[in-house]
Amino acid sequence: MSEKDTMIRLEGIKKRFRTKAGELEVLHGVNADIKKGEVFGIIGLSGAGKSTLVRCINLLERPTAGKVWLDGVELTALPEKELREQRRHMGMIFQQFHLLMQRTALENVCFPMEISGVPKAQAKTKALELLELVGLSDRTDSYPAQLSGGQKQRVAIARALATEPKVLLCDEATSALDPNTTAGVLSLLKDINERLGITIVVITHEMSVIQEICDRVAIIDGGLIAEEGSVEEIFRAPKTKIGQELVMHEGSNREAYTGKLPYCYRLVFNGGKENEPVLGEMMIETTGVVNILAANTRTIDGQDFGQMVVQFPEEKELREKMIQYLRERGVVVEEVEYV
Amino acid sequence: MFKEGMLALVGQGFIETIYMTVISTVLAYVIGLPLGLILVVTDKDGIHPISWLNKLLGLIVNFFRSVPFLILLIALMPFTKAIVGTVIGSKAAIVGLWVAATPFVARMVESSLKEVEVGVIEAAQSMGASPFQIMTKVLLPEAKPSLLVGAAISITTILGYSAMAGIVGAGGLGAIAINYGYYRGQNDIMYVMVVLLAIIVLVFQELGMRISKHTDRRL
Repeated sequence: MSEKDTMIRLEGIKKRFRTKAGELEVLHGVNADIKKGEVFGIIGLSGAGKSTLVRCINLLERPTAGKVWLDGVELTALPEKELREQRRHMGMIFQQFHLLMQRTALENVCFPMEISGVPKAQAKTKALELLELVGLSDRTDSYPAQLSGGQKQRVAIARALATEPKVLLCDEATSALDPNTTAGVLSLLKDINERLGITIVVITHEMSVIQEICDRVAIIDGGLIAEEGSVEEIFRAPKTKIGQELVMHEGSNREAYTGKLPYCYRLVFNGGKENEPVLGEMMIETTGVVNILAANTRTIDGQDFGQMVVQFPEEKELREKMIQYLRERGVVVEEVEYV
Repeated sequence: MFKEGMLALVGQGFIETIYMTVISTVLAYVIGLPLGLILVVTDKDGIHPISWLNKLLGLIVNFFRSVPFLILLIALMPFTKAIVGTVIGSKAAIVGLWVAATPFVARMVESSLKEVEVGVIEAAQSMGASPFQIMTKVLLPEAKPSLLVGAAISITTILGYSAMAGIVGAGGLGAIAINYGYYRGQNDIMYVMVVLLAIIVLVFQELGMRISKHTDRRL
């Protein structure tokens, strides 16, 4: 990848916090290149360091070591005042919205423009445009307390776009929203990415969010990037244990499963195949049954993907027969640890 | 019960009380508000930590808050004389009230400003706001309802102090209660003053709360 295609470059980012219990290193040297115009996801379980990482991008948190570049400018080398200028190129939205509670939606969107010295009338025109973009033209004079969670996040998005940033950082932006509202906000983000060409960095613990809008994804675990690739790649064949876990369990309720189940396999049905009852036919053909542990279907880049985690029978011969049957019909079968 | 001229005396006392209280509250905020802001901003978790300044100011504030008001009033006499030219009367009392109330106000302001969500401040930082912009555009406006409640508490506390200032001949309802009620043993007058003072406290308190509630957009 050439230098000028890179929007954000992270190089050896380390972050240590001083706690009462002593020094705690949360990030152990993270490297990443985020391309211009892409939607880049960073996924991890809670405590993996993903929020710290995104806060290191705009230096809300100063890395203990390492360098951050934004569009060719090394942010970590800038003095405070110039850093503030550069931050205007990066909008940020948060899980808890963080709107100014004593200002209306319109005044909230005007706020970053006030800070950067945009004339009042011009700021107001721009703010009204942005509120229209996020679908809140009718709520411009409402205070945040009068808005729903989804509406608040829309105001926050409009506010983050007010300074016409190159990058939008989303820190668990949909984690406080219900599934319907989440879908609305995600499609708005996708739309912003496509229409305005803004690079978006999404931090989340939900694989579904990544699949919904991201082009590429990095899986962060224990303060390091475990694996990185296109969303399709990662979803189809996660290489690391943490990757498999996130893809299978979506990073949620993993505490619900205790103990390791034997003979677990992950099946991936590529494009269209799930309309044929492959699994059912296999069970009739082989006269053996499988135990379905998890299943879901998704659309990634317009292609349908179905995945299942199943437990095959203990009898080796039967199990192998089943696997062969499925593989012959284009199903990806891989043994996994289902914990 | 009331001798001739008593009503005029009470009227004058009322005006003196209000005058002392309001003026010294305003003066206390002139210094206390910026002082409270500096305490929050320079705190180790603040937007512009300056450890030594924070500790120094904290120490000064705690020192003045720990001196009992009456003793402070007497100890301040040379200072008071230098400023207003006298150590008795309402004007002199205002100096004492001002010095006593400022650290109190600073702590009230500090606690109000600390109620502002850290996330909102971070959001402003992420937009490139300077510490000064965060103070004027985030901290103060967002804390306004709480600051108003704090102001109501401050003014009623200062009113209480002003009644004590009667001891140094400051005038006001407190002085009438002490001079007529206590020294001359006219208990009825004392009770009337107590009731009057209580009513003023209630009015200030209620007014502050209502303004705060009315202007708070979180409701």
